[in-house]
Amino acid sequence: MIAEMVKDRDGVNERVSEAVEKAHALQESLNAVITFVDPAKQLEEMPEEGLLRGVPIALKDNVNTKGILTTAGSRILSNYVPIYDAEIAVRLQKAGAINIAKASMDELAMGGTNKTAYIGPCHNPWDTRRMTGGSSGGSAALVAAGVVPMAIGSDTGDSVRKPASYCGIVGVKPTYGRISRYGIIPYASSLDHVGYFTRNIKDACVTLKVLAGRDERDMTSSFKEVPDYSALLNSDVTGKKIAILKNVVDGVSTPEIVTMFNGLAEKLRKRGAIVEEYAFDEALMRAILPAYFIIANCEATSNHSNLDGIRFGVREDGADMAEIMTNSRTKGFCSLIRRRFVIGSYGLFEENQERIFRKAQKVRRKIVEALDECLKEYDAVIAPAAGTIAPFIDDQADQDALGEESVVAENYMAIANFSGYPSLTQPMGFVDGCPVGVNITCRGFEEVEMFNIAKAIEEETGLADLVAEVK
Amino acid sequence: MEEKKDREYFRKLAHQLMFDLSDEEADGIVKEFGELETQMSLLDQVNTDDTEEMIYPFEQATSFLRDDVVTNVISQADAMKNVKKNLEGHFVLPKVVK
Repeated sequence: MIAEMVKDRDGVNERVSEAVEKAHALQESLNAVITFVDPAKQLEEMPEEGLLRGVPIALKDNVNTKGILTTAGSRILSNYVPIYDAEIAVRLQKAGAINIAKASMDELAMGGTNKTAYIGPCHNPWDTRRMTGGSSGGSAALVAAGVVPMAIGSDTGDSVRKPASYCGIVGVKPTYGRISRYGIIPYASSLDHVGYFTRNIKDACVTLKVLAGRDERDMTSSFKEVPDYSALLNSDVTGKKIAILKNVVDGVSTPEIVTMFNGLAEKLRKRGAIVEEYAFDEALMRAILPAYFIIANCEATSNHSNLDGIRFGVREDGADMAEIMTNSRTKGFCSLIRRRFVIGSYGLFEENQERIFRKAQKVRRKIVEALDECLKEYDAVIAPAAGTIAPFIDDQADQDALGEESVVAENYMAIANFSGYPSLTQPMGFVDGCPVGVNITCRGFEEVEMFNIAKAIEEETGLADLVAEVK
Repeated sequence: MEEKKDREYFRKLAHQLMFDLSDEEADGIVKEFGELETQMSLLDQVNTDDTEEMIYPFEQATSFLRDDVVTNVISQADAMKNVKKNLEGHFVLPKVVK
C-alpha cells in the first residue's frame, strides 16, 4: 500500500487532502486526534524522493514536533509547543512523509486503555462503544479506520501491540536501540521503545527502514547496520522452529481465540514450520506484571519530576514556587498518574529499594534468561496478543488498576520490553465482529526473521489491509 | 515500629512529590498498596539469590567518549517560549525567599 502510494506521484495532494478530511470526519466518532496538523508547508518542502514520499501519517502525541502542540495526552502539557523535533520526526520528514495529526494517547503513556487522555477516551473503529486499548490508541484508530497507512506509537509494556490486537492492524515494537528515542516524551527509560502501526507486513518493512539507525543523541541507540527489510522479506517458514507460549494460551479467557490460534499454528505446521508448545515456569510468568509495574512506575516518577509548570507546561497560580508546583502537578495529572507516582516513589525509598525496585530488576533478569533459553532452541515465540476482544469503554472495571490477580494472558507481552527483543502483533481473526491479534517475539535485532514469520501468517489469514467501517 | 500505611501516610508522600491527593484518591492508594503487597509476594516466589539486577536490555558499556561538539543550541528566546512569565531571560515567579 505504501509503495503504491509513493509510486503515485501525481496523487499526493489529493491523497493527503482525503486523509485530512477523513480524520476530521471521524473525529466525533473516534476522538483519535489531539491536534490536526496543516500539511501545506510539508507538501511544499517535500523531498523529490523518499520511501514515504507523499504518504499521510500520524504521530503519537508524545513525539516532540517543533512548533506543533505536543501534549503526551496530559493536561499539564496541554499548552506545550516544542522548540525542537524528535529524531524520528526528522527522519520521517526526510523520507517525505506528511504528518497530518498528533494522535491521542493515555496520559504520559501510562495506561493501557486510552481512557486517560485529557481529551477523553479514544473509540475503537470496529465498534465505537469499545476501547482502542492504549497507550497508543489514537494512532491505532487512525490506521484501523483507513485514515493513514502508518502511524507512530510507543511501547513500554505493550502499548503498540495491544491496541494493534484490539484494532485489527499490525503493531511493531522493534529491538531496543533500533529506533532513536531522542525527543520522545519518556515513560520508563529502560522499557520505552518507539513503535508503529501499519495495515500489512510489507508496509511494516518499509517503515522500519525509514525509522531505524544510529542517532548520536540517544545513548541507547544501536550502531548495528539497518537491513533492507523489504528486499529480505519472504514467507518461507520451512524448518523454522516456533514456540507457542503455553502459559499464555492456557490463560486466554475467550475459547474462540484459543481455537483460532490453534488453527493458525496448524497452518504454520502445514507450511513446514516446527511449531511446538513451550511452557515457562509459571511463577516467572506470574511475576511479569508486578516486575513491570514496579520498574515502570519507579522510573516514571523520576522521569516526570520535571513536569512542574515552571519552565514549560500549564502553570497554576500559587503564592510561591512550591505552591505553584504543587497546584500545577495536582491539577495537571489525573488521579491514576498521581497514584502511580506515589507507588513508584515508595519503591525507590532507600529502605524499600532492595525489597521492591531491585527485586523487580532481578526478577526481570530471570524472566529474560528464561526467554533466552527458549530462543536458543526456537526462532520465535508466538501467542494470542490478548485474551479478549477490546473491552467496552463504559466497563466499570478499572482496567488500569493493579488487581490482586496477575493475569498472564493480558500482561505477558512486557517480556519483549524487559529483554528489548523485537515483537509484533498482527490480526488473526474476528470474534463478535471485533479483531483479535497474534503476537510474535524473536531474538534481538532479528526483525527480518520476525517479518518473515508474520508474512507467512498474513498469507494464511488473508488479513492484510483491513479497514474498519466506522458506524 | 513501621509507619502505618494509611491515608495520611500517602498524602504526606504525595506532598513530597509536589502534588496533593483527595481523600478518595488517598484511600485508593491504601487499597492499591494492599494489592501491591500481594503482587510483591509473586516476585518473592522467584529465587533471585546470586542474581544481578537487570537495569537495561543489552548491557553493553558505552566504552567511548563522544567528541565535545556544539550542536542543537537552544536560543534564550526559544527556551522562554513555553514559560508563562519571563523577564530579561529569567523565569518569573511570585516569591522565592520568604
